[in-house]
Amino acid sequence: MATIAARGLGKSYGGKPAVADLSFDVEPGSVTGFLGPNGSGKSTTMRLMLGLDAGAGSTTFDGRRFTELRHPMRHVGTLLEAKPFHPTRKARNHLRMLAAANAIPRTRVDEVLALVGLTEVARAKPKSFSMGMGQRLGLAAALLGEPHTLILDEPANGLDPQGILWMRLFLKSLAAEGRSVFVSSHLLSEMALMADHLVVIGKGRLIATGPVEEFVSSAQANAVVVRTPEIARLGDLLVARGARVETDQPGLLTVTGMAADAVGDVAFDHGVRLHELSNKVATLEEAFLERTAGAEEFQAHPPAPPVERSDA
Amino acid sequence: MRAALAYEWVRIRTIRSTWWLTGLAVVLGVGISTLFSWAIHHDFSRSGINAGDLDGLGAAVVTQLAASGQIPSVVCFVLAILGIFAWGHEYRHGMIRASLTALNSRWSLWVAKYVVVGLWVAVIAFVTMLLSGVVGIVFLHDYLSVFSAQTWSIIGREVLYGVLLSWLAMAFTSLTRSQAFALTSIFLWPLLIESLVHVFFLLVPGLRDHTAVLRFLPFGAGNRMVDVLSHSTSTFGDPLSPLGGTIVFGGLTVLLMAASFALFRSRDA
Repeated sequence: MATIAARGLGKSYGGKPAVADLSFDVEPGSVTGFLGPNGSGKSTTMRLMLGLDAGAGSTTFDGRRFTELRHPMRHVGTLLEAKPFHPTRKARNHLRMLAAANAIPRTRVDEVLALVGLTEVARAKPKSFSMGMGQRLGLAAALLGEPHTLILDEPANGLDPQGILWMRLFLKSLAAEGRSVFVSSHLLSEMALMADHLVVIGKGRLIATGPVEEFVSSAQANAVVVRTPEIARLGDLLVARGARVETDQPGLLTVTGMAADAVGDVAFDHGVRLHELSNKVATLEEAFLERTAGAEEFQAHPPAPPVERSDA
Repeated sequence: MRAALAYEWVRIRTIRSTWWLTGLAVVLGVGISTLFSWAIHHDFSRSGINAGDLDGLGAAVVTQLAASGQIPSVVCFVLAILGIFAWGHEYRHGMIRASLTALNSRWSLWVAKYVVVGLWVAVIAFVTMLLSGVVGIVFLHDYLSVFSAQTWSIIGREVLYGVLLSWLAMAFTSLTRSQAFALTSIFLWPLLIESLVHVFFLLVPGLRDHTAVLRFLPFGAGNRMVDVLSHSTSTFGDPLSPLGGTIVFGGLTVLLMAASFALFRSRDA
């Protein structure tokens, strides 16, 4: 099973860097999520990894570049486009064509079609396929050579909730077999359920890489919530001990930089009455938004607060 | 390379446009030859044969009159669309990334496309000319031997012309990465652009003395490859000899192919 090692990936368009000095590893036996805001360079990175785009750096799959692999689909399965097929070439023929290039037996074509649930439309033209069906056909192509590595760009796009659940379980089962699964997605809640590791980029640069739990636990949004009638006094005590406190609501303190146990101890030692002491755990979305703040290529203005209308 | 050839072989056979273009080329080719052979037969049977009437007639029948040197081969132009689609579909439908992740050698994919399309065009052009010749025999067997040595020579040259035209169309599509632009250009260039240049040279007084250079216009030169009516004095004389026409038309094709490969190798997919 292959370790993906990306080193110093770089690509510029008209002098503007789209990907800059990006290095990371993807380990076998795991699903590694690839996150970044729109325009952060995720798709470009994937194309660079596969030698589809010219740029700096190198990516190896167990020590070999993609362009050095004989019968590449037997090593690396890819899904880079929403509908990567000719609209009038029948689904089965599309896969037969790819199989022919990689000395894959025809029987495997029917196997992967069954695997992704497209047997009934195997002889249909994909021009009538929904986005989700197109993604399934793309995934069937990626799985055709039973590769040890999968590189998938937004594979859940267009899938219905059942399809997303199927995709998640499917990719996790592939990783459990020891394969390396590298997958980008905008669905952070889905990624939180699916990924073991993360590679997070912003404006083409690496922001974070490591286990999902580590990424989430490092977020500022992790906090201790304290409800007390002595908010000012407790706040002062905590700040004096290095914690950061915020009072968003009356009687409620949000404490960061100090564990719940320590907050409780400080309150007890100074006789401060507590009505609530709880941990607020950050979500992957909160951690992601926090770490990628300012790294968006295209920043939208927040919506204006609603204005109450007077009909009088 | 075997993998790339296998890929291209399945690709060309599993798309409907290959079959309707192939069918159109055969039907159009045989149809025009039938019409022409019948018209000649009708004329000969009523008016008799004059001296010179049979010059190059067999070649004209099998090439759908392209051997007259006045028009390009209809069959080859229809088949050249296969070449345009070979690259056009890659870019129009985003197939190029799927192709290059199935075949990670750009050189292999590039060569395989030209080989497979070239072979397909060669076989279909040859079969169409054979069938056209058979039709010619049916109508004209009383007057001439359709499959003369000259006809076989023209068939060979027409097959070469068809392959070169398809490769030129492929190279142009690969360079522009636009199927629509390539389709338009491949018909406008010979039918309009070169005629326009001819008219320019005729109407602009300063250019009138230089009309001899017009023999190097590529599609006009291509027509000379199968021309049985013009008589050249030397390879690059005026008009060009069949060899001269092949060198000019083939030279442009090779040039465009080299440029297309250089760009294909360095461009982002």
